[in-house]
Amino acid sequence: MREKRPKRLNGTSLLFLAGLLCWPAAVSAQFHPKDTDWPSYAADLAGTRYRPLDQINAGNFNDLEIAWRIKTDNFGDRPEYKLEGTPLMVNGVLYATAGSRRAVIALDPATGELLWIHGEHEGKRGGAAPRQLSGRGLAYWSDGKEERIFYVTPGFRLICLDAKTGVRIPSFGDNGEVDLKLNDDQDILPDLITGEIGIQSAPVVAKDTVIIGAAFREGMTPKSMRNNKGYVRGFDVRTGKRLWIFHTIPKKGEFGYDTWEKGSAEYTGNTGVWTQITVDEQLGLVYLPVESPTSDFYGGHRPGNNLFGESLVCADLKTGERKWHFQLVHHPLWDMDISSAPILADIIVDGKPVKAVAQPTKQGFLYVFDRVTGKPIWPIPERPVEVGNVPGEWYSHTQPIPAKPPAYSRNGVSIDDLIDFTPALRERAKEIASKYHLGPVYTPPTVSKLEGPFGTLTMGTASGGTNWPGGSYDPETHNVYVYACNSCIEPIGLVAAPKEVSDIAYIAGTAGREVEILHGPGENAGADSPKPPKKPAGGGFTRLDVDGLPLIKPPYGTITAINLDKGEFVWQLAHGETPDVVRNSAILKGMNIPRTGQTTYNVGTLVTKTLVIAGEGNVTTTADHPRGAMLRAYDKMTGKEVGAVYMPAPQTGSPMTYMVGGKQYIVVAVSGGPYSGEYIAYTLPSAGE
Amino acid sequence: MNARAVTRNSIRREDDDDVNVKTPAAIIILAVIASPLCLLRAQAPAAESRSVWDGVYTEEQAKRGESLYRRECAACHGDMLTGGESAPPLTGGAFLANWNGLTMGDLFDRIRKTMPQSAPGRLTRQQDADILAFMLSVNKFPAGKTELYRQSEMLKEIRFEAARPAPKK
Repeated sequence: MREKRPKRLNGTSLLFLAGLLCWPAAVSAQFHPKDTDWPSYAADLAGTRYRPLDQINAGNFNDLEIAWRIKTDNFGDRPEYKLEGTPLMVNGVLYATAGSRRAVIALDPATGELLWIHGEHEGKRGGAAPRQLSGRGLAYWSDGKEERIFYVTPGFRLICLDAKTGVRIPSFGDNGEVDLKLNDDQDILPDLITGEIGIQSAPVVAKDTVIIGAAFREGMTPKSMRNNKGYVRGFDVRTGKRLWIFHTIPKKGEFGYDTWEKGSAEYTGNTGVWTQITVDEQLGLVYLPVESPTSDFYGGHRPGNNLFGESLVCADLKTGERKWHFQLVHHPLWDMDISSAPILADIIVDGKPVKAVAQPTKQGFLYVFDRVTGKPIWPIPERPVEVGNVPGEWYSHTQPIPAKPPAYSRNGVSIDDLIDFTPALRERAKEIASKYHLGPVYTPPTVSKLEGPFGTLTMGTASGGTNWPGGSYDPETHNVYVYACNSCIEPIGLVAAPKEVSDIAYIAGTAGREVEILHGPGENAGADSPKPPKKPAGGGFTRLDVDGLPLIKPPYGTITAINLDKGEFVWQLAHGETPDVVRNSAILKGMNIPRTGQTTYNVGTLVTKTLVIAGEGNVTTTADHPRGAMLRAYDKMTGKEVGAVYMPAPQTGSPMTYMVGGKQYIVVAVSGGPYSGEYIAYTLPSAGE
Repeated sequence: MNARAVTRNSIRREDDDDVNVKTPAAIIILAVIASPLCLLRAQAPAAESRSVWDGVYTEEQAKRGESLYRRECAACHGDMLTGGESAPPLTGGAFLANWNGLTMGDLFDRIRKTMPQSAPGRLTRQQDADILAFMLSVNKFPAGKTELYRQSEMLKEIRFEAARPAPKK
């Protein structure tokens, strides 16, 4: 599907073409960064978050001190409290996205000194963006001489900067930018300013191609079954020319079109790749984790299996042509998406070397495939699942369930999962749960009724499980290390949508409560105050906790080491201090409760020569530390905690590491609640101190 | 503009209801609403000991706030305030731990500065205070007879305490 895009030839582009013709044919010399650098979002294109560094180790982790820190408040017109970036460090410069403007900053990696800053002022287009704020990061490219930085603005424009100066490279696209709302094999509706499409993940650069996916608003209560589609595109790193496009919803005549019955491929949207993309440069293959189609919890307007919704798609790096795919969830109804980077791993199964790809998920399954053929390493048989009775819904009667490895986090809700510190608490929890439909993974949503069920109580769905930070992979032990929320419950109830609210038959909601469209960020940005309610909101508001204690029993959040040669767990631990609400509970006073971990889904891991490192996602205040969170280090072989260092706020962006000037640094993004975004760099005290 | 005016009117109506109560407290409140200066003086002695456990909002206000919440906040923070893929929960242990030991002013200013994400500051102070009242009610902090303030400096006098304090002697 290589593209020749029709382009109006004007004076500039003629000059531009002439320039191209003069381009030396042999500039494909690739830049090979050192393994002491961190040259792409997940350390490498394989999505490993691994660096073989060991200056910071079990013996000295507790000695870490802050080398430098940078607040991101002024990189935008207001502070940001959700800093999710992971910086890059290449060739002695640290690059990151930062602040509510999603500015790009270049820092001295040893001192944090600001070298340059670049910001794009997008006006209404930025304000209307479905995915705002600083995003997850950027991409670096070099041919050994020239160095470029790529990032996507909130308003969905791909910007190419000179890595040395932060100035746009005029020869790329239109004066350093490519408008991603154009040339997308669809008209982005309603217009270029407000048309809903964007991206928050970091672009990926592989060989000489920049790969960009797409994201939308959250899809719980969309106004329409129609929406823009999230195609994936490859662009030339030098010119910005579109090289290929992959239609995540097939066009008529393309493979998979018939999995959208009644022509629903024509109008259904979303189905983008909003999370990180992984590439095997040697094989020339791209791994695309595709999200859910329009309307997360109701699929009655898209009968069929809906390829490539919630599928892992392997495509050719040069052409974008599909090589293989595996749909993890048929006819998606749970907002499972595929939420994180596929992980490439060269493993040994039954004595044979295999080039594998492992996919962590919200539903707590780690799907492992031969990454050349797409064949599952261990069987993933189709198993019968519950068929629901929501009017107009189309159900898949089976879902593929991996035989190995076992689920590493809870992906259903049963009575046994409920709080059990005391029998009385369990009884209270059962009472709450009795108002909901319970069941194992792939128990479908129900219509919400006042007399019950209010909906289906789920885990491992919209939040996960493993969400966007994904996992890490250690090429030494062949272990995947993956954080998962083990207690993120999602009640999924459906209510009939009034025509004036949505053209979809059912949207997320609770019986007895006023049905309203849930406005997303960027919607009605310029509007005045809302109208008063037509009628008072009804009942149906049930708190999913027991006296403030979590409805679900610990562990609330885990890190699991999974060996990919065997498909088995090596260890699993509860990650994170026991929450204040549990530790300080009067009801639980005197009870000995082992560390519970925390109910949070956005924790990313880093693996080094010896350690697995991850920060906490929640704030605690303990006898050992003031309000804050800990960055913890575990022995990667055993899972034993070997050290922890204080952070003033929770980790909100996954940690990274690098060496510069003979010292190892760990940089992590922290923010949340009252604490605005900050990157903090930790290192060991200098000798003699 | 019309919508805003209607919201204001509905607030006035509730004030009228209070007049019917005819308790000394209600009269003070009315006076206070009429004059912020007066309020500062009237509340000053009590301020040092007030926390979210002392009935710092009214049920009526929380009801207004619920409606606003569902229009302005729920898409990201969830129908049940449990958070979503792009926004943190506004109830439960993690939320309480985040703000424990700070003040309602800190929480209010955070909302003023950054929410709604598409157009921070688009809502009026009154609307933000109403939404905050709803959040307090969902988090099971008790309602009282006075509405939550809409002035940051006054909200700073209300401590956010996650755990109910021991009964005063």
